[in-house]
Amino acid sequence: MMVEHFPVLIIVLPLAGAFLMPLLARRQVKLCWPALLLILVLVLGMAVTLLWRLDSSGPYFYHLGGWPPPWGIELQVDFLRVYLLLVVLGLGLWIAVYAWRDLEHELKPELIGWYCALYALLIGSMAGIALTNDLFNLFVFMEICAIASCAVITIKETRECLEAGFKYLILSAMGTGCYLLAVALIYMVTGHLNFALVREALPEAAALYPNNVLAAAALIIVAFAVKAALFPLHVWLPDAHAAAPSPSSAVLSGVVIKIYAFALLILFYRVLPGSLLSAVPLNEVILWLSVLGIVFGSIFAMVQEDLKKMLAYSSIAQIGYVFLGIGLANRTALVGALYHLLNHGIMKALLFMAAGNIIHAAGLRRIKSLSGIGPKMPLTMLPFAVAGASMIGIPGTGGLIGKWFLALGALETGRLLIVIIIIAGSLLNAIYYLPIIINAYLNPLSEGVSFKPVPRLMTASLLAGAAAVIFFGVFSKPVVLLLERAVTGFF
Amino acid sequence: MEFLKSLSNNYYYLVAIILFVIGMHTMLTHANLIKKVIAMNIMDASVFLLFVAVGYVRGGAAPVIEASANRVYVNPLPGALMLTGIVVGISVTAYALSLVTKIFRYYGTVDADEIVEIRSQEQ
Repeated sequence: MMVEHFPVLIIVLPLAGAFLMPLLARRQVKLCWPALLLILVLVLGMAVTLLWRLDSSGPYFYHLGGWPPPWGIELQVDFLRVYLLLVVLGLGLWIAVYAWRDLEHELKPELIGWYCALYALLIGSMAGIALTNDLFNLFVFMEICAIASCAVITIKETRECLEAGFKYLILSAMGTGCYLLAVALIYMVTGHLNFALVREALPEAAALYPNNVLAAAALIIVAFAVKAALFPLHVWLPDAHAAAPSPSSAVLSGVVIKIYAFALLILFYRVLPGSLLSAVPLNEVILWLSVLGIVFGSIFAMVQEDLKKMLAYSSIAQIGYVFLGIGLANRTALVGALYHLLNHGIMKALLFMAAGNIIHAAGLRRIKSLSGIGPKMPLTMLPFAVAGASMIGIPGTGGLIGKWFLALGALETGRLLIVIIIIAGSLLNAIYYLPIIINAYLNPLSEGVSFKPVPRLMTASLLAGAAAVIFFGVFSKPVVLLLERAVTGFF
Repeated sequence: MEFLKSLSNNYYYLVAIILFVIGMHTMLTHANLIKKVIAMNIMDASVFLLFVAVGYVRGGAAPVIEASANRVYVNPLPGALMLTGIVVGISVTAYALSLVTKIFRYYGTVDADEIVEIRSQEQ
C-alpha cells in the first residue's frame, strides 16, 4: 500500500522537486510555479490522509528503508507531528500562491526557477524536522533548512539582503554547531540517536555523567534559541526578515522560526528525562527569556520606522508566547502555545504579504508614509487590520484563543505574574498596530503617492488569510481538541 | 589529581572543546568575514573530532567484519555520521564564501567594521 509510505514521501517529494526544478526552469520557466504548487498540494493531501488515518488507527512509527532502530532512521507519526506538518504545508501552499504573482515583479525572471527550487527545499526540510525521530537526522534537516532560508533571503542580491543573509548564516551555523556538540555529548553517554531510545537511556546516564547531560541540555537551549530568535539571541532576525522579498519574509517569520520552537519542544519533552528538568530549572530559564522577549520585542517594534522591520521585531515578541507555553510545562499552556503557533503563522504571513502588496502598489515602506492608504487599497488594508486585531487579541480573531489558553495554563500553575505579562504584551501590541490602522483609514493621503494595480491573486490570498484568522478565532474547537490529544503523555 | 588524570586520559575531548570555543569566539567577534567562515569550519571540525574520538576503541580494527577473525572493532557509526556532517559543512562553507564574494563586490572589502563605516558615511 502506498499510504504506508506517505510519511517519507512527504519529505522526499519536495526535496526531489527541488532538485528537478532547475532542469524544468531551463526548459519551461512558466511551468515552475504550477509544478511547485502541484507538489505542495500533493504533500498537503498526504498529510491530511495521515491525519485521517491517525484518527482511526492511532500513532505509529515509520522505519526508513525498513531498518528498525537502533540502526535505521525512524519517522514518528502522531497527532503533534501531523498537526505541525499541516501547519507547515498549509501555510507553505498559501504563501506560495501569493509568491507566484509577487515574485514575478520582485525577482529577475531567470531567478524564478531557482526560487521555486529553494522554496521546495525549505518546505521539504521543515516537513523533515516535523516528522523525524532521530537526533542526527534532525541536525541534517536543520542545516538544509538554514541554507534554504538564507538563500531565499539573499536571492535578490541587494546589499541589505546579502549582509542580512550572511549574518543569519553565521549565527545559524553557531546554533547548529551547538546542537551537533549536544548530540555528540548525548551519543557519548547513551550510545543512541533515536529519541525514544535516548530517553530510555538518559536517566541512568545522567546519574553517571551529570556534566555531559547538563551541558547537552544547555547547548540544546542555546541552539534552538538562536534558531527560533528567542530573546536575547534574536539579533539576526530583524535584518534578515526585513530585507528579504515579501514572500520569503512571510514564510520565514510565519513558519521557519516556529519549526525550531517546535523542535525544542520535542527535545524537551520527548528526549530529555523529566527528572533532569525538575532537577535543573531549565523551564524557568526558557520562561523568563520568553517573558523578556515578549516585552522587549514589542518595545523594539514600537520605535521602528520601517514597516517590515516592525513586523520582524513583532515576531520576536510573538515567538515569546510559543516559548512561554514550553516554559510553563502545563498542558493547557502548551495547547495555547501550539494554537498560537498556527495563528501567529497565519497573521504574520498575512501582515508581511500586506506589506508586500503596499510595496508593490505604492512603493511605501515607512510606517509614517502609510497615512490615508486605507480607502485607496481597501482589499489590502482590511486583511491588514484583521491581522493587526488578531495580534492584539481582539475577540473573534485567532490571536485571542492562543493567548487565552496560555493565560489559563499560567493560572493553573499559579503564576499570576505571567498572566499579567500576557495581557501587558497584548496591550503593547495594540500600541504599535493600532496607530498604523488608524493612520491608514482616518488621516489624509500624503501627496505624490501613485498606486499601481495589484494582481488579483495576491489580493485573493490576502483575503483568504483574513478569513482564516477569523475562522480560527470563531471555530477553534476542532483544533483545540486535536491539540489536547496531541499533548497527552507529555506531562 | 583525579581530575587531572581523567583529563590526560581523555585529552582529545579537551582539545575538541578548546577548538569549539576558539571557533565560536572568532566567528562571533572577528570583523573579517572570511575569518568568520574559517572559524565556522574550525567549530564544525571540533565537533567532528569529538564524535570520531567517541567512536574509537583502543586497539580496535577497521569495522570490516571477518567471520574467522575474533577482534575488536571501532564503532563505525560516528564515522558515517561525520561524513554526512562534513558534506553539510562543505555546502554551508561554499554558500557562505559565495555570499562573501558578493558582499566584496559591493563594498570592496571583507571587513565588517569597514562595511559599517562605508554605510554610515552614505547616510
